[in-house]
Amino acid sequence: MSSIIRARGLVKAFADIRAIDGVDLEVKSGTVLGLIGPNGAGKTTLLRALLGLTGFEGELDVLGRNPRSQRAELMEQVSFIADTALLPGWMKVGQLLDYVTGMHPRFNRQQAESFLQTTEVKLSRKVRHLSKGMMVQLHLALVMAIDAKLLILDEPTLGLDILFRKRFFEQLLNDYFDGERTIIISTHQVEEVQNILTDVMFMNNGKLVLQKPMLAIDEEFVELHAVGEAATQAEAIPYVGKRSILGGSAFIYQDIDREVLAPLGELRTPSISDLFVAKIGGDSNHG
Amino acid sequence: MASSQPNRAFTLVQREMQEYRNSLFWTPIVIAGCLTLVMLLSVLLANRITVMGDAMMQVLMDESAGDGLAITIQIDEENGTDDRVDTEPDSYTITTDPGPANEEDWSFSRQWKFQPKPGARQKPPTADYDSGDDERIGSLNPMLNMLHNFLILTLLIVSTNYLLGSLFADRKDRSILFWKSMPVSEWEEILAKFGMAMVVAPIVFIAVSMIAQLASILLAMLMIWRLDMNPYEVILANIEFGPLFLNQIGGWILTMLWLAPFYAWLLLASAAAKRSPFMIAVAPIIGLIVVEQIFMGTTHLATALGNHLPHYYEEDVSSVGFYLHGPVWSAIDYTGLGLGLLVSALALLGCFYLRRYRFEL
Repeated sequence: MSSIIRARGLVKAFADIRAIDGVDLEVKSGTVLGLIGPNGAGKTTLLRALLGLTGFEGELDVLGRNPRSQRAELMEQVSFIADTALLPGWMKVGQLLDYVTGMHPRFNRQQAESFLQTTEVKLSRKVRHLSKGMMVQLHLALVMAIDAKLLILDEPTLGLDILFRKRFFEQLLNDYFDGERTIIISTHQVEEVQNILTDVMFMNNGKLVLQKPMLAIDEEFVELHAVGEAATQAEAIPYVGKRSILGGSAFIYQDIDREVLAPLGELRTPSISDLFVAKIGGDSNHG
Repeated sequence: MASSQPNRAFTLVQREMQEYRNSLFWTPIVIAGCLTLVMLLSVLLANRITVMGDAMMQVLMDESAGDGLAITIQIDEENGTDDRVDTEPDSYTITTDPGPANEEDWSFSRQWKFQPKPGARQKPPTADYDSGDDERIGSLNPMLNMLHNFLILTLLIVSTNYLLGSLFADRKDRSILFWKSMPVSEWEEILAKFGMAMVVAPIVFIAVSMIAQLASILLAMLMIWRLDMNPYEVILANIEFGPLFLNQIGGWILTMLWLAPFYAWLLLASAAAKRSPFMIAVAPIIGLIVVEQIFMGTTHLATALGNHLPHYYEEDVSSVGFYLHGPVWSAIDYTGLGLGLLVSALALLGCFYLRRYRFEL
């Protein structure tokens, strides 16, 4: 698989705050990457830098182009739904489709209309009269009908109820992802996307804290649920995170021999959210 | 599936027309409709006009009985010889009344009588056109130009409003990120919006104006027909369609060139504004004019600005102006025009920079 995004020493500063602080990044095609971080971690700024929507220092190459100076050309290959992006409310849905049909060489209108037929979004309705959920469905219909190589979603399901969220990610996985396209998703609902991710990236204070394939997470990290005396023994072993559970503690370890931990309790692969909490804000003990 | 350049241009224009449909499309139609309606009411009321008109026409045109409209001025003079003065050689004679003057009446020394000359027919206005009287040629053009002026002044107001909002509204409602997700360059966006104000909107307004003028002509012909006159001779023969429409179109082309910096500046204010594009457009200019006047004692900026702002121009052979009716190509101040176009280019470059690097509110 070839790299479609390469960044070296990426920096973006607002006054004295470094929203992106020396990020090195490589994303290969066919990846579904989850970008996870607390509020203010720099996720949106990083995604906007990838899209050419904000300036930066350092080297950045997206699909062989400089996103800052070649945004329009890049957008032929890249689709995105931004967290704060709203579709123009004055337009009718049909007019929106007309516009994208006229301006985007890789847009398949028929496909978008087929998708919309499965929803309550009618072509004659004005965008401003759509509910938040319907607007996201419309936006999803647009980006899914674009034959893009890279799809960037920045909190795409923000404000949606769980039914809409589940449907959104199901459609994304079933109808859009084909193993060759690359998707980057920034979201707080980690549990809802972790089963569709191939890679995960944690970000905090403008820095990448972790970037690994999901398979490597399975191999490198292990979570131990220890109760009673075993918990005391487990705590003596250097861990990356710890949290309380009923009657004991759960510890997350990195690069450790599972044979050592097995006698102390139940072993499992940590969830992405637990790993995130452990790496970003958890109680760690590195011995 | 690839979108061609003409198709892209059409889509961009279509998008602007959809967003500003009320101001760019319905406004000229409603205004033209109202003006045409006024004309239609005139036609509907023509019967009343006819009643009065018949009486007037009877007086004006009945020369065979010799009792037409007569204005008599008496001037005292010793001899009572005829003194004929033909002010309207074919129509009226001035004669000295040989009768005795009444002392109690107006004490003019001679009595002048203006009356149709026996044997001369009252000609319809169009007759003069054929006989070479240039004063009658195109005499209805000013009326039609007034209708056109009204629409063009509306166009200026609508265009100003459009330009101030065009690079601001999408930033305010945050839809700009959607537009930026499309493969459309900043230059395409900016030139599409500038082109809308400079070319497309004027085409719409001028087309509506011409249709309204034609409708008014037809209604005027109908009215004249109801007044029992010949509409072809009274109306059509008094309109020079070619010069009328060519001047209106040519006038806009020259106006457009002069307005270019004004429009580009409005677009720049729209791209730069955080809150009020109008304030951004006006405040710096007023500030600079005041500063120039205080510190340098000159008014170059105010003068240059005045030259490029819309203002009425008609007969004065000024080198600059607001050409409503027809261009005066020979009197163009090419330096001023060129500087204006240079300012336009710089302002559009500023729009590009702001749109690409400083688009967030």
